Amino acid sequence: MIEAHSLTKRYGARTVVDTMSFTVQPGKVTGFLGPNGAGKSTTMRMVVGLDRPTAGTVTVNGRPYAQHRAPLGEVGVLLDAKAVHGGRSAREHLTALAATHGIGRRRVDAVLEVTGLTSVARVRAGRFSLGMGQRLGIAAALLGDPQTLILDEPVNGLDPEGVLWVRTLLRGLAAEGRTVLLSSHLMSEMALTADHLIVIGRGRVVADAPVEEVVSRAGVAGVRLRTPDAPRLAALLGREAGVEVTSTGTDLLQVTGTTAPAVSAVAAAAGIALHELAPVTASLEDAYLQLTGGEVEYRSAATPDPTAPTRRTAGASR
Amino acid sequence: MTAATAPAARTAPRTAVQPVTFGRLVAAEWVKLRSLRSTWWALALAVAFFPLLAAVQSASVSRIADDAPAGAFVGPVYVTSGLTLSQLVLCGLAVVLITAEYRTGQIRSTLAAAPRRLPVLWAKLAVLVGVTLVAGLVGVVAGWVAAAPWFEAAGMSVDLSQPEHLRLLLGVPLYLAAMAALAYGFGAVLRSSAAGIATVLGLVFVVEPAFSYIPWEPLQRFASYLPSAAGSRLVTSDAMGSVVAGSQSAALGPWAGFAVLLGWVAAALVVAAVLLRRRDA
Repeated sequence: MIEAHSLTKRYGARTVVDTMSFTVQPGKVTGFLGPNGAGKSTTMRMVVGLDRPTAGTVTVNGRPYAQHRAPLGEVGVLLDAKAVHGGRSAREHLTALAATHGIGRRRVDAVLEVTGLTSVARVRAGRFSLGMGQRLGIAAALLGDPQTLILDEPVNGLDPEGVLWVRTLLRGLAAEGRTVLLSSHLMSEMALTADHLIVIGRGRVVADAPVEEVVSRAGVAGVRLRTPDAPRLAALLGREAGVEVTSTGTDLLQVTGTTAPAVSAVAAAAGIALHELAPVTASLEDAYLQLTGGEVEYRSAATPDPTAPTRRTAGASR
Repeated sequence: MTAATAPAARTAPRTAVQPVTFGRLVAAEWVKLRSLRSTWWALALAVAFFPLLAAVQSASVSRIADDAPAGAFVGPVYVTSGLTLSQLVLCGLAVVLITAEYRTGQIRSTLAAAPRRLPVLWAKLAVLVGVTLVAGLVGVVAGWVAAAPWFEAAGMSVDLSQPEHLRLLLGVPLYLAAMAALAYGFGAVLRSSAAGIATVLGLVFVVEPAFSYIPWEPLQRFASYLPSAAGSRLVTSDAMGSVVAGSQSAALGPWAGFAVLLGWVAAALVVAAVLLRRRDA
């Protein structure tokens, strides 16, 4: 369990983490989301004592991280793939870490096996690809068999099989009752892996809720339809209270505040043909972009209005 | 690669994890030091300078020995003439020992495993001092062996029953370890290999000699208290020492000089320790 109370980090006049309070519960995968520069990595670094909070406290399993006598047995952490000296082999890197906690050779072999690095255990880490580096970082995080795992962008650079493997691993660890805090920019992956979300923007928590709740709060659910008689149907549908119709093409309509059967009934009564009719559910990405729309630190010029209920392809606004 | 093997980590019994102790940190730092190829290159080079220079210097003085008064050459001085170059290499190794952690990001792994931080600084120091002491001792023995064939021709000897000879020989590993510790302190403060090495070499080979060349007495007195000038009194023969001391009007004895060097080392390490605790990693 990770508990942050009014956690604050300032660099000079810039406040990166602003009185953030949250609890990461055991037995769940908690996703940590936020735009670049929102303070995710800084927060994670403060949890394991690499950065000193300007104010506030954060504890892991009931104590500040540095007060644990065997910290690697409490928390496994992957902050980035490059926390390794490139001149050492994967096995040597893990052996050195293991030595600090009296962890035996067998466990080093086991985490190499689990992360699929056995065959390259003697290769110097500097020659590793990004994905292999991530695997080594995950191996290091698992070394002490910790109750709590903190992983910053663990699937970054992994192949699809590796992504699936990380998902299976993390869900399994959470199912055993461990605490898993995970950050990622891949919304689709987060939707599949996380149970709970903490969304931050500009150093503040903007949402702290189960994934379904965050998604449903986005409230962009509606119906998309294609009809040759778009203007007339739009006029008919727009008469009903609470219904909003947007034209997204010459024969395309996006309707919110109603359901597919209701739209179908209106069209049938008026004798209008429908070529397509599909319910649109909000995605985590929609919800995320709505939540963080006003909080983006580094906005690209081409960013569309994040509150528009249109689906975007991943990465379009980042 | 291994989607199917993921559950293995979870079905195994929980791994036994022991508390972090100073001894375990020293063991870990030793694993880290010995697993880098650069360590072994540096140590081999640092040791190799001793027999190389001992042989060259002894051979050259053996040719002029007939013109010199008896006992003009102090054996241990020639045995240990590789000291200056060896010091250069070991100081470089000492700086990189800590700065490479910052350059590569390894420091985050290191400090996540030992979040109290200061024990890491001391564990690294312990390994460094141990390694440089051994390298210095091996270098001295190798230098002795390499110089021995010219002893007779040069009219010099190494006599371990003479306190001066013993000091000159055993002073070498002590001086090297202290200089390496100083360089390590600079590295820990500066956190950059280039800046650390430039500072140490600049101090030893530029700043200190520059001070002692300026013919102004107070400045020369001050210069004799600078780290390398003071510390090298331990590895300077009595005859040479009296000349140096006379010219600089500073009467630092061999052990007093070494104590001054240790004072510099302590100061550098205190600054490094304070900064390590305060700064974000």
